[in-house]
Amino acid sequence: MNENFAGIRKTIDHCVACTACMAACPVMRALQDYRGPKLIAPAHGRLHFSQDDFDRSLEFCSNCKSCDRACPNGVSVSNLNMQQRGKFFESHKHSQRDKILAHIESAGKKIRTIPFGHQAANWGSSVGKILGISEKIGITAKRPLPIYARKNFKTLFKSIHQQKSDRKIVFYPGCYINENDPDVGIALIRVMNANGIEVLIDENFRCCGSPLISTGFMNESRLLAENNSARIQDWKSKNIPVVAACTTCSLVLKSELAEIFGDDRFANNNVFDAFEFLETIDLNLNLASVPKRILYHVPCHLKSQGIGLPAREILSEIPDLKIELADAGCCGLSGNFGYKKELYDVSMKIGRELFDRILSSDADEVMSECGPCRMQIQHGTNREPMHPLEILAGAYLPN
Amino acid sequence: MDNPTVIIIGGGATGLGILRDLSMRGVKTLLVEKGDLTNGASSRYHGLLHSGGRYAVKDQSAARECIEENQILRRIGKSCVEETEGMFVRLESDDPNYESQWIDGCKSSGIKIKKISVDEALKLEPILTSKIVSAYLVPDAAIDGFRLSWQLVDSAKRFGGEIKTYTRAVGIDSHNGKIIGVRVRNRSGEHEIPCDIVINAAGGWTGKIAEMAGLDVGVQPDKGTLLVFNSRLVNRVVNRLHKSGDGDIFVPHGSVTILGTSSMSVPTPEDTSTSRAEVENLMRIGSELIENLPKYRLLRAFAGSRPLYRPKGGAIGREASRGFAIIDHSMEGLDGMFTIVGGKFTTFRLMAEKISDQVCKKLGNSNPCRTASEPIVAEVSSKSRENVQKFFPSFGLNLAANRLGKDRFEKVAKKLESEPESRQLLCECENITRAEFEVIASEETSTDLDDIRRRTRFGMGTCQGTFCTFRAACIFGKNSAIDSTREMLFERWKGIRPVLIGQSLKQAELMRSIYISSLDVNAGGELF
Repeated sequence: MNENFAGIRKTIDHCVACTACMAACPVMRALQDYRGPKLIAPAHGRLHFSQDDFDRSLEFCSNCKSCDRACPNGVSVSNLNMQQRGKFFESHKHSQRDKILAHIESAGKKIRTIPFGHQAANWGSSVGKILGISEKIGITAKRPLPIYARKNFKTLFKSIHQQKSDRKIVFYPGCYINENDPDVGIALIRVMNANGIEVLIDENFRCCGSPLISTGFMNESRLLAENNSARIQDWKSKNIPVVAACTTCSLVLKSELAEIFGDDRFANNNVFDAFEFLETIDLNLNLASVPKRILYHVPCHLKSQGIGLPAREILSEIPDLKIELADAGCCGLSGNFGYKKELYDVSMKIGRELFDRILSSDADEVMSECGPCRMQIQHGTNREPMHPLEILAGAYLPN
Repeated sequence: MDNPTVIIIGGGATGLGILRDLSMRGVKTLLVEKGDLTNGASSRYHGLLHSGGRYAVKDQSAARECIEENQILRRIGKSCVEETEGMFVRLESDDPNYESQWIDGCKSSGIKIKKISVDEALKLEPILTSKIVSAYLVPDAAIDGFRLSWQLVDSAKRFGGEIKTYTRAVGIDSHNGKIIGVRVRNRSGEHEIPCDIVINAAGGWTGKIAEMAGLDVGVQPDKGTLLVFNSRLVNRVVNRLHKSGDGDIFVPHGSVTILGTSSMSVPTPEDTSTSRAEVENLMRIGSELIENLPKYRLLRAFAGSRPLYRPKGGAIGREASRGFAIIDHSMEGLDGMFTIVGGKFTTFRLMAEKISDQVCKKLGNSNPCRTASEPIVAEVSSKSRENVQKFFPSFGLNLAANRLGKDRFEKVAKKLESEPESRQLLCECENITRAEFEVIASEETSTDLDDIRRRTRFGMGTCQGTFCTFRAACIFGKNSAIDSTREMLFERWKGIRPVLIGQSLKQAELMRSIYISSLDVNAGGELF
């Protein structure tokens, strides 16, 4: 556990105004109107007493957290700015669009209560786009909405037979893997099983809250934090770690909630990124050769965890596999940021460097842990990236 | 200008108040000040517009003056006064008898107080200690000394009043027991300005000026040290409800909070030094009201001297009167010489009125005082604010409008509109545009960066000039950029040095390293 994560929270008083956050901010580079991370909460938060005003910069932060990583003084600028956004919405109304983008978990739940709901939803979102409804409420029609899988992960999980084991983990799938990309969850089960670990799931886990935080629904997010942290603590008391394969979910559950709400109960040291967890065990090295070259886009929210690149460490054990880092900054989607109509172009501009890197690469596969990063890459390059767990599962498959 | 009738020595609130008052009555008046305006106690204080509550037990006539002037300044100085209201809180450890005396004192002084529950007090100001046992709301407010002073000048100028800054009085000349003029020294040398009347309103320097005329006026400089915090810890003035002491008032002042004050007799008003011991003492006492106080970032410490009037054998320090005195030295054989001493910032207008009455009587001028009824400067209307809002940075419009007053505001707005590059923020912490800086910098009275700083607030926020000093120095142009940088940083450093703990230490080292490595200016000076 990184010491930055638990208990040590930095306020605007810790900002030394050095501007490192502004130099590191991918949104600033793409959007001249954005005044930059330092100027939202740390500087101009001090001036809010003077008038009821609004600065569009409050909308421009994508919460990618590049600023936090750049800060020499350990200030989580992004979280201070998300707090500011939350404060703004204490006295202002949310748009219909923001409500939709924030509540993807409950939308998914509703869809699953209707027979063929996923088809209806997928069909609905394309019809919505054609009819211009999504654009009208402020969701871009220029990119596809996430496609709902035929069956969600939690349903698929019930039909998977696993060997009982004393070594167990609880898998936290998060909304995207559960509803849109359950194959990643299946890959995780294969990997864990190949290492003699039984995977449990906890039906009482809820969304990590990231989409709510970034749209300023603080009270709802806090309720989720209460629920999830209690669940994590419960599993901790049974000595069973909680493992996530989405780097945003793991970051939020580890440290972000504690920082945002200033509440140490939400700082969870029993949560692991899947590969971070695999680094702690005696890994089964009976791995088949995968003679491929992989271009790896490291998600921002993995970088922010300060745990290095565990996926690269683990995958480098696979014979004949070569991993190259894309090293091309933020993908630009940042959760729901790039779905906002007015920010679509900015989102694509941020991603340009990464797209160019991928398009000019002759690697066999592109990979990234983050679901939104993979969607953005697919949208920007037409290549279908994989999750590193899928690659590792493939190496275990012949056994 | 033709020769003035009256010369005022001292550009603090009192002198400027007199300048405005006499000018409005049609008396030809010049004010001379040895430095920039308000370099003495008129800016070196906590920025509290007293309700009078603080004096309600000890000095009810001062309390009455405070509440009356408080109401007047709210009307005439809208853009200088932030109507925060105030709160008096008594802690468990404070004498309960004082509370009842205070209630009676407020009642007989005409100060409206409202008792609120402890829960309500904590809801209004959640940062306060839960050891509060009783709380009252009072009509305290915050007032900006720099801003008020410059607006008084603007007002006086409309009626023909004039000022000369960086012009030091070096002699008071008389002939046959009658004032004939004041000798002054400024950049262009020494010369005499003839006049009929001299008003010594030099605050802490009153004794020195009196000496020039061969007179003896007892002024005891009483140093008060104050601390500035990086943000608004409280939204209203918070006073401790006990016998007035050190470190028992918090004043929200724009983006910062000021904690004051201490009281210490010093030999000279030039002594504006502050020490770590004073900082620690204020922090210790302040922490009784705000227990988490040490967790909040200090920006700086500063000190100023109250010019307490001390007639022979009179009390000093907190026991000395906060009242003021007017001396007509014709009794001592010098006709045309007046001294005004003592008093408080809150009552500057009243002091000015009283002495102007005497001066006018002497001059045979029967025009009545109008300073209480006419606004000091025209306010920027909400309509003209609306029209130019889009050119100002967000959260920057009202602050700029209040700082600038109508005429300069229009000038800045025009510049912002026609020169988009002037919309750049010169000072990011305090949200100051390049346009505002340039408009103030172009004025004749702006001789160095500090003069502009006091009027715009650039360099007075979180980074204390780390990132705006070099920008300002390059744009300013009147002096060499390196010299401007050095002067500004040394001044900043003076206030930072006593609070070099925690985050302010980090900030200071960042500042020092930037300027040493880029411009070979050591912002720490000889102090390290």
